[in-house]
Amino acid sequence: MSAARVAMAQPPLTLDVAGVAKSYGATIALQRVTFDLRRGEVHALLGENGAGKSTLVKILSGIVRPDSGSVRLAGQPFEPHSLLAARAAGVSTAFQELSLLPNLSVATNLTLPRQRKGPVGLGSRRLNEAKAAELLAECDATDIDPGALVADLSLAEKQRVEIVRAVSQRPRLLILDEPTAALAEPEWLFRIVERLAATGVGVLYISHRLAEVRRLCLRGTVLRNGESIATVDLADAQDTDIFRMMVGRGAEEATQRTRGTQQRAAEAPALMLKDLRGAGVEGVSLDLHRGEIVGVAALEGQGQRDLFRILGGAAPAESGVIAVQAKPVRFADPRHALHAGIGFVPEERKTEGIFLGMTTASNISLPILGRLLRLGLIDGRRERAEVREAARGVDLPDRYIGMRISALSGGNQQKALIARVLLSGARILVLFDPTRGVDVGTKEVIYGVIRQFATGGGSVLLYSTELSELVQLAHRCLVMYRGRIVGEATGEGLTEQRLVSLASGHGRAA
Amino acid sequence: MSASVANTRQRTAMSIRRLLGNGTLIVAAIYALLFVIFALRQADALSRNSIVDLFNNALPLALAAAGGTLVVLTRGFDLSVAGVVALSNVLMATVVGDGPAGALEGLAMVTGIGLLVGAVNGVLVAYVRLQSIASTLATMIVTSGLALLVLDAPGGNVPDFVADTLTDVVAGGIPVAAVIALAVVLAWLVLRRTDWGVALYAVGADETAAGLAGIPTRRVMFLAYCLAGVFYALSGYMLSALTATGNPNAGNSYLLLTFAAIAIGGTSFSGGRGDVVGAMLGAATLTLLQKVLFSAGVSSFYTGIFQGIVMILAVLVAALSDRIASGRRA
Repeated sequence: MSAARVAMAQPPLTLDVAGVAKSYGATIALQRVTFDLRRGEVHALLGENGAGKSTLVKILSGIVRPDSGSVRLAGQPFEPHSLLAARAAGVSTAFQELSLLPNLSVATNLTLPRQRKGPVGLGSRRLNEAKAAELLAECDATDIDPGALVADLSLAEKQRVEIVRAVSQRPRLLILDEPTAALAEPEWLFRIVERLAATGVGVLYISHRLAEVRRLCLRGTVLRNGESIATVDLADAQDTDIFRMMVGRGAEEATQRTRGTQQRAAEAPALMLKDLRGAGVEGVSLDLHRGEIVGVAALEGQGQRDLFRILGGAAPAESGVIAVQAKPVRFADPRHALHAGIGFVPEERKTEGIFLGMTTASNISLPILGRLLRLGLIDGRRERAEVREAARGVDLPDRYIGMRISALSGGNQQKALIARVLLSGARILVLFDPTRGVDVGTKEVIYGVIRQFATGGGSVLLYSTELSELVQLAHRCLVMYRGRIVGEATGEGLTEQRLVSLASGHGRAA
Repeated sequence: MSASVANTRQRTAMSIRRLLGNGTLIVAAIYALLFVIFALRQADALSRNSIVDLFNNALPLALAAAGGTLVVLTRGFDLSVAGVVALSNVLMATVVGDGPAGALEGLAMVTGIGLLVGAVNGVLVAYVRLQSIASTLATMIVTSGLALLVLDAPGGNVPDFVADTLTDVVAGGIPVAAVIALAVVLAWLVLRRTDWGVALYAVGADETAAGLAGIPTRRVMFLAYCLAGVFYALSGYMLSALTATGNPNAGNSYLLLTFAAIAIGGTSFSGGRGDVVGAMLGAATLTLLQKVLFSAGVSSFYTGIFQGIVMILAVLVAALSDRIASGRRA
């Protein structure tokens, strides 16, 4: 059989997945997945949340075993029983939910599970850091200090370390799961991927960003409901075709901007900041009106995270004024912010947003439990009714409500989180990158929710790493640079190019 | 350009944090402070006998705390310390013969039992995936019960060889207890730099991520419980040498003091942070505090109150210095 393949003109296959299926109890994660990946190919894996991408990644990484079907790696049967076995066979993965250990140094993380040993056979910090520096240099990431604790790195730096670690295994097949979700400058990754592919490494590239996928990949496989729908030549496929394959319905071009018509009446702004300062925030003033969506654009690490955390009550403000409906407020903790009517959706939903051990319903109803009390006990029927209503608002299917939230895909968790914030009765939404690592379908839902919220008189402050998202959604967009607001783009001036030039500290005059 | 400035600032902040967040340093400072008070109050505090006593009294708790730390680092709780200490103690007071042979035989027996109990804990927690508090509570009850079967009331006699030699001095004045403590510290410094030592911290911080990094998490946890059991047995062994008698309830006071020593030593109960040496110093601090209070004429009924206060102080200082260190603006 392998002889027949060699005879073909195509480069040999690095990965050949045939009819792979996997279910967890009654839940079918993968029905039937078939695709192949050639040597030196960067192959895209596309699909909505819950399409089965994560399960496929876990199977290929040796974390779970398929129920049926076959996987061949470079012609050999590939049935790893552990992550280490998969790694030994030449498959390494950069996980979306980063797998770094925050309490250890970058160097230790890069050399796990076996430290570099000194002369007496003991782990040597010096050798570890030298090795790590070498690995970082290979990937052109010399700005990351090998001795730094991972906890002290920014999310983008963590993601890069995760990628460096996967690359450092010198794999035959590299799996990148949403690798650019937190990267502000993905070119860095593209260079690595292209370099590896040129040396014959196969790369399975999972991303929701079609532009990226088109930049890197020639072919892509679309998954839907655990099935591989088709492997397409990306050059021949329109975005709408791919989108249709992913969601199984026509893609409505529902991206009309509804800007310019918002009434900025004489009424007090819903949220007013005056010379707000705190760690990383060097004096920010802004007005956010009723019915307004204001975007915030910035390069990685310009204080936007700190600003949003202050507004969510998750970090203290040092000086300045925060006024909600012209009433000055101070937040000592997130509860106060919620009380003032600010609903905050944080960046790291896994650690700051949701309670993994609880059901989706409990996660959604948390902030309103006080309202649901009857004789001091929670009225279960009302809780269910309210939750179902809120879930419908964010297009979260009923069947997920009773499940543990940890069993939901990232996009659905995000929907639940937004449902919770909406249910809390907040009139101001403070959203930090709400569509990070979320597929196109969910994105559209989230956009819809945001627009509807604003139309209904709510106010939204939105940060996103994707400038196109801000251009599409926001009525106007503020740009942060080094902890300050350095510019604003409105109306016709709200374009990606303008945001980029403002965000990099140029074009203040333009 | 600005990135490099930020980088240096971050680096300085990091090294400050490492220093301030180092629980071992904090507990060492607390100990030094207490020792100064002790030396001022008690005229013979610096005499050889007093120093030897200090080591002898602190060592059993320090060994128990060292073992407990291994488990706490993996984000577990090991309550079996109370049972293993008691069982080791009553066995040393009843069935062991005199002389070096008897001492070795006793050592082999109790460490074997400690290892066995630790292995049972390890299997239940790491492989059967039971909660550590529940599993180790069960083994604690079983071993405490066994201790009562061996000796139903305080009594018995620990062989003179053990009681005398191990509480004595060697090489012209170095307490045996200090030698043992030093050996444990050295062993820890070695273990810490093995793959297993690093893995302890990784597993405690995030077991899933540790698994994804290729660490055999179950084996790492299993070994932590096994080694902890051995330390508890050594603790019971040295307690026997100290008291020279058996007491089936000897472990009871150890249970809470062990965890207090671990906390004072700067080890976080949420796993992945801390140090064995800190815990041993924490144990020494608690023991020294008893002596200081005694020398100040405070009734021993108040000891618990002061120990609790010191524990709150230590944990508070650690939390505060950590907060100061992690604040990006000085």
